[in-house]
Amino acid sequence: MNTAVHPDPQGSLIEDLKRGDSSAYKKAVREYSPGMLAVARFYLDYSSAEEIVQDCWVTVIDAIHKFEGRSGLKTWLHRIVANRCKNKLRSSKREVAIDFSESLEPELANRFNATGRWDLPPSLKFHESADTLMENDALSDCLDKHLSALPETQRSALMLYEAHQHKSEDVCNILDVSASNLRVLLHRARQKIFLMVETFQETGEC
Amino acid sequence: MLMCKDLAGIASDYIDGELTGRRNLSVKMHLMMCKHCRSFIGNLRASTDLMKAHSSSKPDGEFIRRIDERVAEALKTRKPRDGDNE
Repeated sequence: MNTAVHPDPQGSLIEDLKRGDSSAYKKAVREYSPGMLAVARFYLDYSSAEEIVQDCWVTVIDAIHKFEGRSGLKTWLHRIVANRCKNKLRSSKREVAIDFSESLEPELANRFNATGRWDLPPSLKFHESADTLMENDALSDCLDKHLSALPETQRSALMLYEAHQHKSEDVCNILDVSASNLRVLLHRARQKIFLMVETFQETGEC
Repeated sequence: MLMCKDLAGIASDYIDGELTGRRNLSVKMHLMMCKHCRSFIGNLRASTDLMKAHSSSKPDGEFIRRIDERVAEALKTRKPRDGDNE
């Protein structure tokens, strides 16, 4: 049975938001805030991230009339959050420059011999699911530490693409990077997480 | 010929299905013969899953309630625009 009453439910929500309809805001806040908070969490600590998301919703009230629907509402909201977080960080922390011509982390690149074969092969063994492993508080804390130490564009590329399953073109749009640079960002970030988990499994240390 | 180090450099592209044609085929061929690279691809996938599981925690109700309050407050002072209901 076709229950659709509006051909584009998101379009209807956006129109309601533009009119300043408070129940539309309640609905949108519930639907989009978890994702927005997760975006902010990859830049900032928990309480600053919460504050940024609150501020963003207030900004949205005035900015929504400029939303033209070229990207989805979720992408647009995540971009506002990412920009706010970057501005906040810019004053306190300098971005680490990334060499986009190099796709291997130096720590991993050193593990091959002169002929390009593995000298020190990967040693990670997974006997449990990711969810079970995350019940290990020490590992969880270690991941937190390493994620927050990633350069901000790497961290947010990884999070937007993996945790939020944004399409590549949306992530490029949010972070303002080219498609090929996004590939490098993702790959470098994944290698760092891999190296961290490997060290943790081998030594029990973070 | 594709070496382990070359493969490690494009492993994410392979995982995400971004490689096409001959390049994708050469990775598949290499993986058939090389257990270390198979293990590397598996490790990279599993590390990413771990990161995803780690970051999927949900915000609490108190956080949503605070946003509702801020939004309600801001809506009161919102400037009317064309298209608003009279």
